[in-house]
Amino acid sequence: MSGGDLWSRIAAVAGALALVSCDLPGRPGPEPEVLRPEQVLDFATLYSQNCAGCHGEEGRGGAAVSLADPVYLAYADDAAVRRVTANGVAHTLMPAFARSAGGMLTDKQIDVLVRGIRAWAGGSAPGGLKPPAYTAAGPGDAARGAAAYQTFCARCHGPDGKGGSGGHSIVDGSFLALISDQGLRTAVVTGVPGLDAPDWRNDVPGRPMTEEEVTDVVAWLASQRTQFPGRPYPSLQPKNQGGTQ
Amino acid sequence: MRLLKALGAWLDFRLRLGEGIREAATHPIPKSSASWWYVFGSAALTVFGIQVVTGILLAIVYVPSAAQAWSSLQVLNHDLTLGWFLRAMHGWASNFMVALVLIHMIQVFLFGAYKFPRELTWIVGVFLLLMTLGMAFTGQVLRFDQDAYWGLGIGASITGRVPVIGGALVHLLLGGPIIGGDTLSRFFALHVFIIPGLLIGFVGLHLLMVLKLGINEWPMPGRIVRRETYLKEYEQLTHEGVPFVPDAIWKDLVFGAAIVAAIGVCAAVFGPFGPKGQPDPTIIQASPRPDFFFLWLFSLLSLLPPQMETPVLLLMPPVAILILLLVPVLSGEGEKHWKKRPVAVLTVLVVAVALGSFTHLASTTPWSPEMDAWSGAPVPISELKGRSALERRGALVFQAKQCRNCHRLGREGGMRGPALDEVALRLTSDQLIRQVLQGGGNMPAYGKNLSPAETTALVAYLETLKPAGRAPAHDASQP
Repeated sequence: MSGGDLWSRIAAVAGALALVSCDLPGRPGPEPEVLRPEQVLDFATLYSQNCAGCHGEEGRGGAAVSLADPVYLAYADDAAVRRVTANGVAHTLMPAFARSAGGMLTDKQIDVLVRGIRAWAGGSAPGGLKPPAYTAAGPGDAARGAAAYQTFCARCHGPDGKGGSGGHSIVDGSFLALISDQGLRTAVVTGVPGLDAPDWRNDVPGRPMTEEEVTDVVAWLASQRTQFPGRPYPSLQPKNQGGTQ
Repeated sequence: MRLLKALGAWLDFRLRLGEGIREAATHPIPKSSASWWYVFGSAALTVFGIQVVTGILLAIVYVPSAAQAWSSLQVLNHDLTLGWFLRAMHGWASNFMVALVLIHMIQVFLFGAYKFPRELTWIVGVFLLLMTLGMAFTGQVLRFDQDAYWGLGIGASITGRVPVIGGALVHLLLGGPIIGGDTLSRFFALHVFIIPGLLIGFVGLHLLMVLKLGINEWPMPGRIVRRETYLKEYEQLTHEGVPFVPDAIWKDLVFGAAIVAAIGVCAAVFGPFGPKGQPDPTIIQASPRPDFFFLWLFSLLSLLPPQMETPVLLLMPPVAILILLLVPVLSGEGEKHWKKRPVAVLTVLVVAVALGSFTHLASTTPWSPEMDAWSGAPVPISELKGRSALERRGALVFQAKQCRNCHRLGREGGMRGPALDEVALRLTSDQLIRQVLQGGGNMPAYGKNLSPAETTALVAYLETLKPAGRAPAHDASQP
């Protein structure tokens, strides 16, 4: 065997080894195995780690607002989604996620979340009818709201809001203590998809709520708040006296 | 060829090693000892050889500084040709070495090979086991990722529980009051100089004794070891025996080669261990685990009642080591065959099953608290169906206040507390409120962390958690 022959064989073997080593299953991927938390920029990971617990997988089926609901996405703009994600909502269970507000996420990560949530809209607004503005124009009038309530809500939630044929109580003191006025507005406009509560167009079929009616109903609901919600605990309140006598 | 021979003769004339080596290689051993059961010790030595070679190669690139250790492993994993394979070999060989040393020990114990005159060989072997485990732990620390950082934290906490001198010991272990660059330097010195140096010395001693005292003969039921007669009997066996080379050594070589191949395959297929996340104590999104040979300790510590921790941690290791050291002293004579030593066999079985179960528990049980269960696991849709506005707010309280770190719902969540899928069958509304506000059992009180409205909503939600059609818990004192 000539010297050149030997060297070419060695080179071939080395080349084959190098090729094989590229495809070995144990070879680590290009990224570190575990990223620093602030380096995670994958929407699915960020969403499932921070949001899915309350808003549900893929933005549906959670106890909090259904973020993937097309009506919600048409109603809330980017700025609103970003503001709520970053700063949370005071006195409710929505925490602030931005570092500037005491959360764990960087501004870049908030961007990823907002963009990802927005991408669920698929780019088209539903139904043609423009939803009411995300932010109320004014404080609203509770007395007019009571009338609007009778028109649009009483059918399911009962004449006084304490529950009826199709809906549960929405004037419970503890419930109202845990939801903001903006949260009430969102619920009135978008309905609650998980509970078949209709959106603002379909409370009364063929008669969408106007901007003012939405604002007034929220004002009426807000006026039902109690000063000391949840106290005393419901089970300690005097029950129906008939049973004990 | 003739030149080589001449060179060899020239060297040997001056070194005078050849005769000793020839003698050691061809020394006669009992025929029965040329067995496939007698290959584990030599295989462990082979793996140690791999560790020395791969370890030296790794040390060329590895930077033992707190700031750069983690990134130098990233360089090995991603930037150097086959650097990842080198790390994988070192990591897998470490696992194999621990396993082989344990198997070797069990085999020696069951074959009664520690009995007269090989007591000291066993005692040295116990130290070799401790050093192997020491290498495994210090090696895990050198990886300097989250597992290493928190593993060190646990090690330091255990050390700190030693009465009187605990603080000084922690200082000695960490090179200061906290885990930092000094800690890493210390563990680097331990892993690269101190323990390997001792290990090489003790391996030499161990081998020397094996050569001088001869390999243990295959035990036979009824053949009793007595100090007065054993040496003569053994001599008789070796007299009828075979030379170590080549009659026995080929099995060692074949098995050793198979082990090396197995390590290579594991390294190629499963890759290197970690490094996991950076060793930064401000990163709280970490669920550190020790490497597999310490997993049993991890679950033992989780399962122990708190008041038992210190005594068990501080007494168990010295007692266990003392028992191991005393084994040949206490039963240096007598029966070697396992069939006639039921207590020995049962001891091995009980210890193996216990360690195996603890390891299994540690690697499969979702140990609580599961810190991201609340945020990562949505409330099952079925558990929200038909719930009122208040109850849905309660579900949000349940998630946001992280009840799920300790409680499961829909098979997801921690297991520190009971699963809550059917809690409404067990507790009435009053009992739920009391439990949430005041805690009790293993549960902290949440009264100060929940507003009355939140408690009301939470309890309203918990009251809905029961299978459809079953009556909720009933307060027997009420009509």
